Amino acid sequence: MKTASRILGTALFLEGFEVQDAPRYGAERRGAPIFAYVRASREPINERGIIRQPHLIIVADETLVPVPAAGVLSGITKITTLLVHSFESPETWQERLNTPARILVLPAADTVEEREDIPFVGTACAGAAARLVGEISREFLIEAIHHELAHLSPDIVQKNTEKAMEAYDLMASHEGYIKEDGDFSGGAYEKPDWVDLPFEEARRSAPAIHAAATSVEVKTGLWRTMRPVIDFEHCNRCWWVCSTFCPDSAIELGEDGFPEIDYDHCKGCMICVAQCPAHAIEAVAEHKPKAHAAEGVES
Amino acid sequence: MNETKTAFKRMKDLPSTHLLGTGTPMCAGCGGLQAIHEIYDILGEKTVFVNAAGCMTLLSVYPFTPFRGSWLYTSMGSAPAGAQGVRDALDILIQKKRIDSRENLNVVVLTGDGAANGIGMSATSGAIERDLDFIYICYDNEGYGNTGQQYSSATPHAARTATSKGPRGFPGYKKDLFSIWASHKPTYVATVVGAEPVDLARKVEKSKKMKGPRMLIALSPCPTGWDFNPMEAVEIGKLAVRTGVWPLKEYADGKVVHTKIPGRRPPVEEYLKLQGRYAHLFRPDRNETLLREIQARVDAYWDGVE
Ligand SMILES: Cc1ncc(C[n+]2csc(CCOP(=O)(O)OP(=O)(O)O)c2C)c(N)n1
Ligand code: SF4
Ligand SMILES: [Mg+2]
Repeated sequence: MKTASRILGTALFLEGFEVQDAPRYGAERRGAPIFAYVRASREPINERGIIRQPHLIIVADETLVPVPAAGVLSGITKITTLLVHSFESPETWQERLNTPARILVLPAADTVEEREDIPFVGTACAGAAARLVGEISREFLIEAIHHELAHLSPDIVQKNTEKAMEAYDLMASHEGYIKEDGDFSGGAYEKPDWVDLPFEEARRSAPAIHAAATSVEVKTGLWRTMRPVIDFEHCNRCWWVCSTFCPDSAIELGEDGFPEIDYDHCKGCMICVAQCPAHAIEAVAEHKPKAHAAEGVES
Repeated sequence: MNETKTAFKRMKDLPSTHLLGTGTPMCAGCGGLQAIHEIYDILGEKTVFVNAAGCMTLLSVYPFTPFRGSWLYTSMGSAPAGAQGVRDALDILIQKKRIDSRENLNVVVLTGDGAANGIGMSATSGAIERDLDFIYICYDNEGYGNTGQQYSSATPHAARTATSKGPRGFPGYKKDLFSIWASHKPTYVATVVGAEPVDLARKVEKSKKMKGPRMLIALSPCPTGWDFNPMEAVEIGKLAVRTGVWPLKEYADGKVVHTKIPGRRPPVEEYLKLQGRYAHLFRPDRNETLLREIQARVDAYWDGVE
């Protein structure tokens, strides 16, 4: 998404806008949610920091929508257009979210069984955004992609360009949804409603954790795009292989000597799939009913 | 290795439940986390970690920790000095009978290769000189992983990093941390990799029973920094051993013993070609000169092993 924001930013810049684009990360490593912001104006931009009331929100990974910690819907109002990269329809999202925002969907290809297409989602989002803004020409979008991906091989750049242009064309009927509006002066600034914490003496305020392994509260299972599913018919019960190699301690010996995967925490690295001597673990795309069946959840 | 007294003869003997908590912020497929989870199972929960800035610093960020005991975060260069303080405090508390000797803890330094080979080296050298009773775990992802994989003194020759992006990659050579440690004549030094868990388990088991300065250097395939599919992390670790790039060995009582001597070593490029950080050695054209140089260095190493 960082690259997507840079492509959009560069394209706007080429069109003569003043632009800010910036990624925002948490402290976490690869796989955790990341945000990127783009702010553009024909006038000099004096505003800084995160965008509190976005005109456009693009969600590349739909599984983040229900995650409160990801906060992808924060600041959403009736001026917002929400574009979700999703297998579902806009109507389904409208029903789910019941928001005043306008909802569009960038359809996710159902054939994405492998991870291969996932790296192109970012450029597709940038292409869609460019059309929604309505002020970016095909030529400048392509130039921006080539500029931002200059370090990649020509065939990868080509593939990215194709994906971006596909998305650009798909959004044709929504061209210009995103409009520039009034300037944000300092006077219009609303103080965020945060809680002021009093300054306390170190003994009280210094963090100390008096419990073991509290990290289990963090559901890293949400990072997954693919889910390892054990076929118990073929599993040899050599749990020591998958359970030892799983970096996340997310596979342990369960009942009857079979390994058990903790889907709340499995990050979807698929080391178990690669290492299972019996080839009894399959990688299934998260949205497939088969993935949910593994957890005994109705899809 | 002395096979007689180990509880770990084969993979089946490895722990079936794990001490390290789930839900850490490490990347999916992190080879460093894999090694730490395997090591922690055998070290046990009576362990206090002293960490220097790096990826693993994010393991314990308030209020979350995957550990079952304490954690102390120090500056990048001073984890062994921090360990000295913790060790001394424990010794004094036990001596003054303010805590029972059964409450004693293993003091373990946990840092990356950047801290271990670079800025932390003088604190380390001092700690070994003072015969500090501690275990140092260095997870070696061959670069400054946490800040975007800039080169470190453990980066191997020709690897691409954020600071060596040219057509020949990193111009320097990987520092020999094992030998630097061994030259201090500490109690124990070993190389391990999460992909060889039985070898790793035996070494942790053995070092745990010893006193004095002990070091475990864990090669840590890093999907993010080395640019490979996270799924391949174990395969890459195994290939590092089989091709001879990562010799599994230990130092004790003044002697170096190789714990796993690869029989017929496949060409090193089997290991290199799975990693994007070496892609420039294969595309657009094969860089025969560099590939031959890398192979020759590995061959020369093993020629020197009896
Ligand atoms: C004195 C100092 N310099 C620089 C940094 C910034 N920094 C934080 S983590 C890191 C990389 C450490 O590399 P390594 O020890 O190999 O650990 P890794 O990130 O690979 O896990 C750096 C340079 C720091 N924290 N302290
Ligand atoms: S950057 Fe590498 S070492 Fe750091 S958490 Fe990610 S995989 Fe692990
Ligand atoms: Mg490192």
